[in-house]
Amino acid sequence: MDDLDLLKQDWKKQEKNLPHLSYDEIYKMIWKRSSSIVKWIFVISILEFLLGAVLNIFLADEEYWQQMEKYQLTEFTIIVYIVSYLITFYFIYRFYKNYQSISTTDSASRLMKNILKTRKTVKYYIGFILISSGVVFLITVFLMIRNHAVESADNANMEFDATQWLIFIGGTLLALGLLLGVIWLIYRVVYGILLKRLLKNYKELKKLEME
Amino acid sequence: MNKELEHQFVTNLEKHQNIAHKICRIYTNDQESHNDLFQEITIQLWKAYPKFRGDSKFSTWMYRVALNTAITLYRKKKRSIRTQDYDTVHFKIKAEEYDDEAERHLKLMYDAIKQLNDIDKALVFLYLEDKNYAEISYTLGISEVNARVKMNRVKTKLKNIINP
Repeated sequence: MDDLDLLKQDWKKQEKNLPHLSYDEIYKMIWKRSSSIVKWIFVISILEFLLGAVLNIFLADEEYWQQMEKYQLTEFTIIVYIVSYLITFYFIYRFYKNYQSISTTDSASRLMKNILKTRKTVKYYIGFILISSGVVFLITVFLMIRNHAVESADNANMEFDATQWLIFIGGTLLALGLLLGVIWLIYRVVYGILLKRLLKNYKELKKLEME
Repeated sequence: MNKELEHQFVTNLEKHQNIAHKICRIYTNDQESHNDLFQEITIQLWKAYPKFRGDSKFSTWMYRVALNTAITLYRKKKRSIRTQDYDTVHFKIKAEEYDDEAERHLKLMYDAIKQLNDIDKALVFLYLEDKNYAEISYTLGISEVNARVKMNRVKTKLKNIINP
């Protein structure tokens, strides 16, 4: 077939226009994949932070602060915001450091160490989110009860009897469990996929090392 | 980590990188996807390298692994590629080397190759690389008879695209 023969000739001619990568460029490519996963962890943590900040701005309107004022939770809320932002910033910084160290890694054993470190950071981060959500929830409920008690001192109708307390506490715990469950689930999905891939890379590296 | 293995691999790949670049040219339409595919091929080759025992030549083994990487990757996102506009940046043919008519014809053929499916592209690629049927059968993991039949079909398909 003439057409294809012509094409074959041209194909050979085109060979000299092909790009050429250096030894170093190829060498670096072998380690690239983990770095892109860690980059995603870093990016997602920032997106998550931004989403949280935007939600806060929209949800925390005047009415919200009035409500907080009513329950005398204003100070507590502000402190929670500041502390959680500080800790979140710290984690974003750690994610960034992890990304940086992984993308400059040039040996497999260091890469493996960095992968384990990154996985650990993410796990701590999720732990922090779960514990802080739980603690904030419980403190809020506690403060509300305290204020409720102050109010009900003037009004006998609002006094809870034993069964009502039991129902209240049970309901609170159930709500807490649900809240933490949902948060845990969301984080498992968001970070779980990336962590799994990192683990896979880690196992592959380990296998290579065994060979 | 076996530094020696690493060094051996990268040296080999550097020497034979043209194979991967040429596969990228057949399967991708712009520089960015070219680089992505090249990197993916590099990673897959590296992962498979411990199993490469040198029973065959590095290049022979590389054709097989690299082409299979492209086929697998291409299959996953077949639709998105097919609907894409392909610019022909990869196949810029130097004007001084060809007269207009030949140039247009070649471009037509390269465009036609882009319209083929993943396996057909692999066949055309191996044809352009002057591989014999034994090599094609090894690279694609099909029998020689099957390779011959498929190759003839692809040639007809190409012909039909160029001269409808």
